[in-house]
Amino acid sequence: MTAAGIATVARQEFRLRIRAGRWKGLLAVFFAVLLGFTVLLRGSLANVTDDDLPFTGTVLYGGLMLFVLGLALLVVPALAAQSVNGDRERGTLATLQVTRLSAAEITLGKFVAAWGTALVFLALTSPLVAYAMTQDGVPLGRVVVVTLVLALLLGTVCAVSLWLSSVLTRTTTSGVLAYLSVFAMTVGTLIVFGLVTAVTSETVDQTFRNDCSQAPPGSSCEEVVTFATTRARTDRTWWLLAPNPFVVLADAAPQLPQEEPARDGTEPGVRARDLDPLGQIGRLVRDLRVPPIEADDGGAVPGFEVEGAGQDDGAPVWPTGLAVNVALAAGALVLTARRLRTPTRQLPRGQRVA
Amino acid sequence: MVDVTRTGTGVVASGVRRTFGPVEAVRGIDLTARPGEVTALVGPNGAGKTTLLLVLATLLVPDAGQVRVAGWDPVTEPDEVRARMGWSPDVFGLYDNLTAREYLELFGEAYRLGRVRSRARAAELLEQTRLVEHADRPVHTMSRGQKQRLGMARALVHEPEVLLLDEPASGLDPRSRVELRELLREQARLGAAVVVSSHLLGDLEQVADRVVFVDGGATVGEHRIDELPAGTQLRPWRIRALDTDLLLGSLERHAYDVDGVTPAGVDVRLANDEAAAALLTGLVHDGVPVVSMQPVGGALEAAYLQLTEEDR
Repeated sequence: MTAAGIATVARQEFRLRIRAGRWKGLLAVFFAVLLGFTVLLRGSLANVTDDDLPFTGTVLYGGLMLFVLGLALLVVPALAAQSVNGDRERGTLATLQVTRLSAAEITLGKFVAAWGTALVFLALTSPLVAYAMTQDGVPLGRVVVVTLVLALLLGTVCAVSLWLSSVLTRTTTSGVLAYLSVFAMTVGTLIVFGLVTAVTSETVDQTFRNDCSQAPPGSSCEEVVTFATTRARTDRTWWLLAPNPFVVLADAAPQLPQEEPARDGTEPGVRARDLDPLGQIGRLVRDLRVPPIEADDGGAVPGFEVEGAGQDDGAPVWPTGLAVNVALAAGALVLTARRLRTPTRQLPRGQRVA
Repeated sequence: MVDVTRTGTGVVASGVRRTFGPVEAVRGIDLTARPGEVTALVGPNGAGKTTLLLVLATLLVPDAGQVRVAGWDPVTEPDEVRARMGWSPDVFGLYDNLTAREYLELFGEAYRLGRVRSRARAAELLEQTRLVEHADRPVHTMSRGQKQRLGMARALVHEPEVLLLDEPASGLDPRSRVELRELLREQARLGAAVVVSSHLLGDLEQVADRVVFVDGGATVGEHRIDELPAGTQLRPWRIRALDTDLLLGSLERHAYDVDGVTPAGVDVRLANDEAAAALLTGLVHDGVPVVSMQPVGGALEAAYLQLTEEDR
């Protein structure tokens, strides 16, 4: 496998994409939608909050990035979902396979082209990001991390779509399944997490201690009341949610500092951290990892335990989620290369060699 | 069985078998194609020609049999084979938005010729296949024959020593077919082993050195084109005379069965060349003004018809 071989394939794919013509319109629509979103979000922030309030940048940037991810997930599957079977249909795959390009070079070349195109869509957001950065509360480090994670997540979508196009004979089938796989990663993880958490929630005995010293004499007052209750063990199921691209993105964004330096005109208590959409999702999923406080049998605390309350945030979720995504991408690419290897022993049903 | 050793040249295949699910596409094809020769692969549709070529072209693993292309094993050493083998399938696609020149340069790079060499080869091949004036136009504006020639140029881009061509003449106009024949002869002259499958037997007879007949997935005959087996069957000859009535009268007198009378001439069936010579002598003796007398469909067609007839 050589870089030159990969570049040969990637250059070719890019050239075909550019000449196909539709991309200009698609890019324009993509940017227009993002611009519209940003303008509306900025307007709504001006209405809701005092315009002097700092940190509009934080809200604007966080909201924009979540929206960009959502929009990109709608576009990116199409970039690779017909890459291999489309070539097969047009009769251009076999002629490439008999050249000295290896299966890995063809696979990576196609992947690079699809991913590169996805990154062009991502690059379109830069003027809007730059605008958000002129507002308060968007540290550069955060922008770098979020951009990198976004890029990796879109790469996963490209790799999985490419694999589907190599496995399935019909381009329509692979297209539909590519979108279904995105759906599975976003909505599917949420549903599975919810259901599995509900099914695996456990019944525990809760104790409640009454203070009988205040009870009127003669009334029946039990010092310790014990009853059964169910509680969700999200500390055991949080990982089901971890691969969700929105979770990975939000949690990977560095949390803003707890304490803001005092500023003039800042209402006390209002911190960028509290308004940050990315940070809020991040803290939400980290809390899932915190196990419930076990009641101390010796001296049960009065009242109910509240799960995770008053505790520090749980450990980050994004390393797991990003690792799952990167592993998915790597696996998809390996399987695609295996599919493209020739000479072939087995032919899938209805598939021609050439 | 052919002795399969690493000759370093040509194509040697013996006992090749390949099934697709329940269908036995190839069940014992032997084929030898020597360098400097054009070997024709002839047989009815579904005889296994394309499958065999896919095996030779490093795309399919055979179920059984031994294959060497340019001295290498296409199954275990595909890259070695690909560096020395050019293949043009019966049906192929071109990248519609590329120009002919870009297309050839792409494949030059895919064959690892490097950018400079790829550019030079593309220019040479465009010249060779008369596509210079279309060089910078998108491929989708080209005619079918031009596309076919471009596909041929692609197969030649890395100057292969083995050339595998599946139905290269289909859809070509007469002039392009003549040029294709010249191109194949030229490749053979340069030392390539050329394997070409086609149904255009007249063309093949003019270009091929050897012919391999396949039928029902197996080799049924392998001959030099100038040593085709004399048919045991009667073969049609066509006679044209200035006076057709005189010709018919003479044929009747000599008790020949007339197959048909068309504006192109009178067809009779004759056993062999001796019978034809005897008939001509008789006709001249009778004073029939014979203009021409020739076999209909050439020796290759006769041999082909006989082989597939026996199969029936």
